[in-house]
Amino acid sequence: MRDSILIHINGAPHRIGGDQAFETLARFLRYDARATGTKIVCEEGDCGACTVLVGRNENGALRYRPVNSCIQFLFQLDCTHIVTVEGLTRGGALTPLQDAMVRCHGAQCGYCTPGFVMAMAGLFECSEHPTAADVKGALTGNLCRCTGYESIINAALDVKAQPKIEQMYPGAPILAAIADVERDPVRIENFYKPTTLEDAIAFKNEKTVIAQGGTDFGVWCIKRNFVAETILSLDAIDGMGDINMSDGMLVVGGRVSLAQFELVVRDLVPALGPIMDRFGSPQIKNAGTLAGNIANASPIADTLPFLFVTNAKLELTGKSGARTVPIADFYLGYKKLDLRPDEIITRILIPLPGDGETLRLYKISKRSHLDISTFTAAMLMRRTNGRIDSMRLAYGGVAPVVLRLKQTEEFLAGKPVARETFAEAGEIARSEIAPISDVRGAKETRLQLAENILTKFYYDVLSS
Amino acid sequence: MYVGKDVPHDSAVGHVTGESLYIDDLPPMPGELLVDFFWSPFAHARIKSVDLSDAQKIEGVVALYTYRDLHHNLLGPILQDEPLLAEDVCTFRGQPIVVIAAENAKAAAQAKKAIKIDFEELKPILTIDDAIAAQSFIGPKRVIRRGDADAALATAEHVLEGIFVNAGQDHFYLESQAALVVPGEFGAITVYSSTQHPTEVQEVIAHLLGITMSEVVVTTKRMGGAFGGKEAQATHPAAMAALVARNLKRPARIVYDKDLDMHATGKRHPFENRYRVGFTRTGEIVAMKVDLYSDGGAYADLSTAVMARAMTHAENAYFIPDVEIRGTVCRTNMPPNTAFRGFGGPQGVATMENIVEEIAATLKKDALEIRRINCYGVETRNVTPYHQVLEYNTLPRLFAELTDKCDYAARMKAVRDFNASSPTHLKGLSMTAVKFGISFNTKFLNQANALVNVYLDGSVQVSTGATEMGQGVNTKIRQLVADELRVPLGRVQVMPTSTEKNNNTSATAASSGADLNGKAAVDACRRIRARLDEMEKKHGGTLTFEELVRKAYLERLPLGERGFYATERIEWDPEQGKGHPFLYFTMATACSEVLIDRFTGELKVLRSDVLLDIGKPLNPGVDRGQCVGGFVQGMGWVTTEELRYTPGGELLSHSPTTYKIPNINDLPEVFNLEWIDHENPVNIRGSKAVGEPPLLTAISIWCAVKHALSFVSNGDVPRLRLPATNEEILSRLTAYAPVLSS
Repeated sequence: MRDSILIHINGAPHRIGGDQAFETLARFLRYDARATGTKIVCEEGDCGACTVLVGRNENGALRYRPVNSCIQFLFQLDCTHIVTVEGLTRGGALTPLQDAMVRCHGAQCGYCTPGFVMAMAGLFECSEHPTAADVKGALTGNLCRCTGYESIINAALDVKAQPKIEQMYPGAPILAAIADVERDPVRIENFYKPTTLEDAIAFKNEKTVIAQGGTDFGVWCIKRNFVAETILSLDAIDGMGDINMSDGMLVVGGRVSLAQFELVVRDLVPALGPIMDRFGSPQIKNAGTLAGNIANASPIADTLPFLFVTNAKLELTGKSGARTVPIADFYLGYKKLDLRPDEIITRILIPLPGDGETLRLYKISKRSHLDISTFTAAMLMRRTNGRIDSMRLAYGGVAPVVLRLKQTEEFLAGKPVARETFAEAGEIARSEIAPISDVRGAKETRLQLAENILTKFYYDVLSS
Repeated sequence: MYVGKDVPHDSAVGHVTGESLYIDDLPPMPGELLVDFFWSPFAHARIKSVDLSDAQKIEGVVALYTYRDLHHNLLGPILQDEPLLAEDVCTFRGQPIVVIAAENAKAAAQAKKAIKIDFEELKPILTIDDAIAAQSFIGPKRVIRRGDADAALATAEHVLEGIFVNAGQDHFYLESQAALVVPGEFGAITVYSSTQHPTEVQEVIAHLLGITMSEVVVTTKRMGGAFGGKEAQATHPAAMAALVARNLKRPARIVYDKDLDMHATGKRHPFENRYRVGFTRTGEIVAMKVDLYSDGGAYADLSTAVMARAMTHAENAYFIPDVEIRGTVCRTNMPPNTAFRGFGGPQGVATMENIVEEIAATLKKDALEIRRINCYGVETRNVTPYHQVLEYNTLPRLFAELTDKCDYAARMKAVRDFNASSPTHLKGLSMTAVKFGISFNTKFLNQANALVNVYLDGSVQVSTGATEMGQGVNTKIRQLVADELRVPLGRVQVMPTSTEKNNNTSATAASSGADLNGKAAVDACRRIRARLDEMEKKHGGTLTFEELVRKAYLERLPLGERGFYATERIEWDPEQGKGHPFLYFTMATACSEVLIDRFTGELKVLRSDVLLDIGKPLNPGVDRGQCVGGFVQGMGWVTTEELRYTPGGELLSHSPTTYKIPNINDLPEVFNLEWIDHENPVNIRGSKAVGEPPLLTAISIWCAVKHALSFVSNGDVPRLRLPATNEEILSRLTAYAPVLSS
């Protein structure tokens, strides 16, 4: 058992234990390591100024992905290699992407710039010649208040031969150092990173937070002074990171990131692609997990309506073994779950829509990208010859939990696919929900969306 | 020659490597203290008692200060009505009451919890309507008047009236307010401040602490964005840190986090403007009366000046023979609203462009036709309501050229056809104009000084009062100086702005940073260069700059100069509402096309075309950045940026999770931005100021939404608040429901 984590920063190893392991990466970089290029602005993962690359061992190579260092605690980053903006410039020479940012006027006040540079570096890790759409996708998580983004996009499109991080920091010695320790569990104060599921279950109780991506947990700690009694990481448990198809079901492991999930579903479930695009930034999706989105139990979690209409099941594993729970039964009330203190979401089983089924997903928010939803909806319809056989309908943002709208579903079954049908269904849907007013939208807005979205669905289905 | 060339920003390399330093990046100093403050949790409350005893006992809490510890407590850039620290009454939520000096953040946080203040909540004024009802105002009501608007309205063929409502906007500079104060010998202090106005920080600190301005040095290397938000309000954090540093003789740093910054600082002024406009059946505007009301917040700040600019921009690009524009600043219990890029101009211009859309909707005419027949003329119909003659007017040209360039007529037809056939979406198209006056309309602010030092090796330092907030003013000054001295750009270093080098400077504001400070720097350079030219003549021929400098030094000639510039022709009589407040105008037209989802109200900007007259740009790359950045910031103001409050005046959208500035995916799908070739005869090197005006081009997006709604508003003039959020649009569509359900 180790009492410290091993983290490489710009090639140099650091062993960190004690209280320091509970600092955020951004604060550690800025105030302990005095590497102040990484900026802290919102400290809740919504602006990208703190973006760094996190390299993890994936199939024997370090794979670098951008994350928000402001909401990543050091204890989450055992066995990683962090590359910051300082680490990108070696020997004083700018890399091609930095040079392009200079030439194209991609920086004005400069405060967001290191974050953009690192998010862009993340893009060039997996793309040689990105398109403008690729660039926008990669920079969704970075806010700039000065440039209007045009010059930044131009800079990214003007980059030639950006070296890979592997060329700057050969992975072999770092991987060797990681290999020496990664099978050894970590225990630092109230943080535990076991290597087996059994140990994880034995440790977990109702006060334990599983800080996997920690993208919301980090915000609770920083903004709401949340203190977890114990913290558990599933990083070192084999199998939890797997995602594969089995018997027509997509099986997603308990620590599969949203980015991994997105990559797989993009082809399998085309309707989910645009939702995943808008769900969050690459930084958030690289850290956050599907299980986390489920366990966090927000009524406006963007994956939930999809999981509700597909009748996804959760595999929950605890001391007495594994059981499966349909997702609709998992939520007992606002942030109340059918999850025993020792249980962990080990797998998510998603029956994918088949032939003859029409799936549509909607996310309504103030800003199209990187915004928490005001209202979400999912429809899964089976129809024959212009008549609805069955309809599954789930709404988010209209109640303390995501809802299946049973009366509306019943009404629609057997009805013709016609505008009037859906207009009438909209009125029923409206009567089935009791939304509240909050910062993201008024109650009346949500009621209207709940009504209108069904007619919108009708036209969307007609046009396809 | 460097002017006119696309020279990279002088800090660009530092920015992309992370080497550029901001206040929070400066290394910790020995003995440094962290400064924080306890702020009013109420919009309006009486302070019945303050008990600091428990807080004082906390380990790591070094000192706690109230207003009693200040020599003076009142500040304000125009009217000194604002206490730095609340005395008996708190008048806005977020108002500082107790300054905390602590060894670390933990102790400061504990102190905030341990400070016991007994408040008696008072009824707050939270809206413009409430303020009008309570007759709660700041400064005198102002009026700009020409002719007899009442008489002309009485005989007009058509009269239209309404209320235009625009909400505020948070600056959302990425670097929040910050300052570091270092004590020196004999009570003097050095202040590192993220401010647009070092002189004001210096003056206020000296005043509040009861020391002389000469004992305070304020230095600004750069800001991580400002947009007006650090013109008057960077002063407060700097003053709090100065209080700590001077009293305790220890360095003191204050850095707001984003939530605190958004809660406690002022924003762009919300306005509620009541208008009556008279026009002919052809759409010619014959008269207008408009009453502008702004929410100034709890204290004056810059609100009266913002109102003056709103008033001088309320007719925008259109000649109105009989016109009366009134302006009233409301005093409410919101944080004092302040400068924000455009400084009232956007609120005035949006009011007028809204009126034009409504005239078009009333007459069932194309709004562009209304705009073009009312546009200021070049030789005639070219006098503004405040009696300034509009010289070098390029507005007719901008309208004509953009109409062709963006294929307006064909696209308007396509929009009509689309709306007639689409059951799911609506489109709108609108072309708006911008006529933005350049100069502070407070005459004395239009001055600047510069210090140019040439060193023995021929390298050059230039210092001005201009502060760098990303806009590239230092880059432009560097180009100007290199050209004037005829040296390579690399020989010129632009120094951090410091009150030690440049005294009594104006804020870097009103888009005038490069105009004023550039002129002052050029003035200094010319005198140095004249001396060197003489030297060259004397020695005959082909000496290098370095050789000339060396010779000049040996001959004991001064190689440093102080330059000065004061803008000519500026006159403004605020009581009469008359004068020549602007040296010239930066102008533009912009055309935007939007797509609206009829079921969700979701808005997408399909295409925007912007055509500007920014003179001959000093640096096309830097200026394009200002234009595009301004447009996108303006797009945020008119679409997604919504400040949402509780009924008690607490800001709910106080971080980027809930306050949505434009994202990279929000850019118009097609975006064309160009400028016309037009030399400005009255400004430095033929250029025009470019900082603020482009923001107003985004008003075209809002007008396009309004245009789209006119297709479903059952023949009525559609109403629309600003910002046109998806929610606002949906509520308008719902109000016109018969169309939706047809």
